[in-house]
Amino acid sequence: MAGRSGDVFIVCSCSARAGVSTTARLLTDYRLFSRSPVVGFDTDPHEPRYGAFFPDLVTTVDVGDIKGQIALFDSLLARDGTTKIVDVWHRGFQRFFATVQEIGFVEEGRRNGIEPILLFHADASEAALASAQSLNATWPELPMVVVHNEGARPLGPKASDILRRYPAKHKFVVSALPGAVVNILDDPSLSLWRFLQAPPTNISIVVRAALKSWIVPIFTQFKSFELRRDLESSDYLR
Amino acid sequence: MTRKPLRDPRNLSSNKAEEAREQLAPQHAAQETGRNMKPSVIVIGADKGGVGKTTIARAVLDYLANNNVITRAFDTEHPRGTLHRFHPEETEIVDLTSTADQMKIIDTLETAQIKVSVIDVRAGGLSIALQALHDMGFLEAVKEGEFNFVVFHVLGSSISSLEEIEEIAPYVEDAQYFLVKNHVNDTTFFEWDPVTHRKYFEKVQTAGELTIPKLNEIAYEQVEIAGTPFSTFVADKTAEGDHAGHSFVLRGYVRTWQNKIAEEFDRVGLLGLVAPLAPRAPAVAPGRSGKAGRER
Repeated sequence: MAGRSGDVFIVCSCSARAGVSTTARLLTDYRLFSRSPVVGFDTDPHEPRYGAFFPDLVTTVDVGDIKGQIALFDSLLARDGTTKIVDVWHRGFQRFFATVQEIGFVEEGRRNGIEPILLFHADASEAALASAQSLNATWPELPMVVVHNEGARPLGPKASDILRRYPAKHKFVVSALPGAVVNILDDPSLSLWRFLQAPPTNISIVVRAALKSWIVPIFTQFKSFELRRDLESSDYLR
Repeated sequence: MTRKPLRDPRNLSSNKAEEAREQLAPQHAAQETGRNMKPSVIVIGADKGGVGKTTIARAVLDYLANNNVITRAFDTEHPRGTLHRFHPEETEIVDLTSTADQMKIIDTLETAQIKVSVIDVRAGGLSIALQALHDMGFLEAVKEGEFNFVVFHVLGSSISSLEEIEEIAPYVEDAQYFLVKNHVNDTTFFEWDPVTHRKYFEKVQTAGELTIPKLNEIAYEQVEIAGTPFSTFVADKTAEGDHAGHSFVLRGYVRTWQNKIAEEFDRVGLLGLVAPLAPRAPAVAPGRSGKAGRER
């Protein structure tokens, strides 16, 4: 996944504040940290939070407009070896997937050797579960990863039970950052991949340690998933 | 005009022959079908302009080609010919008021290898065309069962357009007469006013109503610019068969629209009316044209 060039990640949730932009950001930073080409698309035309972190890499599109759809979907289908990450705005969730279905994006992607991967953000609501199940029913072959952002949408002690109900083979957990550290993430000038390479000295040692211990397990999950996908697609190691 | 004597309709083949035919490859089956089919004429028209007649004609040609039914088309928008621009290979521009051109269409119905003829009637010419078909004895031949005759009457949203229904009625008693509600340009047909709707739509016995869904404006315009059949656009080809590089999103919208229209034609049994033995094609898959023969 994250290391497989040319993949398309659709990061989504039907609920507000589920941590979608954070995941899109982390994945983008992981790709940059791995020195692999990546571009992103922020589908919130009003407040593109994901786009703000990567002004040179992320394009803001309005999927309610056909020009935005062309800018997005035609780019996703380009076989240029670049990983593409789409941050699906929760208010545009229905419209986004309705368009995906209407234009036959998943089927065309397969014909072009591109298999989109859904990173669906779980929460405790029945609506979220129903949305995930609906997507799975529509595209049963589409790989789905359920993402639990413990900071944005804590699921509590029943987390395992809730996540088990999602039709996903894989799971990512984005742990909660300590309250004193979380604000630093809002700074658009903070590059997570550069932070890992060379932590800025103007940040306190405590914050640096906390941030690093938050990022590393997430990147490890990305790497692990990437290796698993490589093994699954290998002709020899099954 | 002079009309060649019309022969009795040929008997359709026996069950055994039909079984053998089903085993043929689609193109062979289509040719075989052509030899045994009763000639069919599909007239697409309206007395009002700008209601999307040529769009419907293009959709019909695409649908039939996707189902391996070979067609010939006549564009009566003389001398320019919009349909001809999109389907130049199978379309001839004719003047339906000219005896020579009438002969070109009607007198060749039985002798032509291609048994399905589509006539795209120019704006304001439907009544005139039907009168011409009546005068030359074609409608009588239809009554006698020599030809299949399908009329797609494309409606506009004005009262005057709906009043055409009554004017057309005397000509289409023996035709498979369909009222076509074309929503390509967001038209409504007084569905919001049941009294008006009933007043016009209940005036004539029809074979059914067809609803053509709306196609995204930009997608429609891009096909216009491309100047190719819808299926060629969906297949991302130019008229010459080269890679066109059309937007995938726009092709996706056109493909979905085509599939919806095909569902409508399937619903009213168009294929059974004009080519009962033709092998059926599945809905056009994403990125594919179901019409391999059209990709030049």
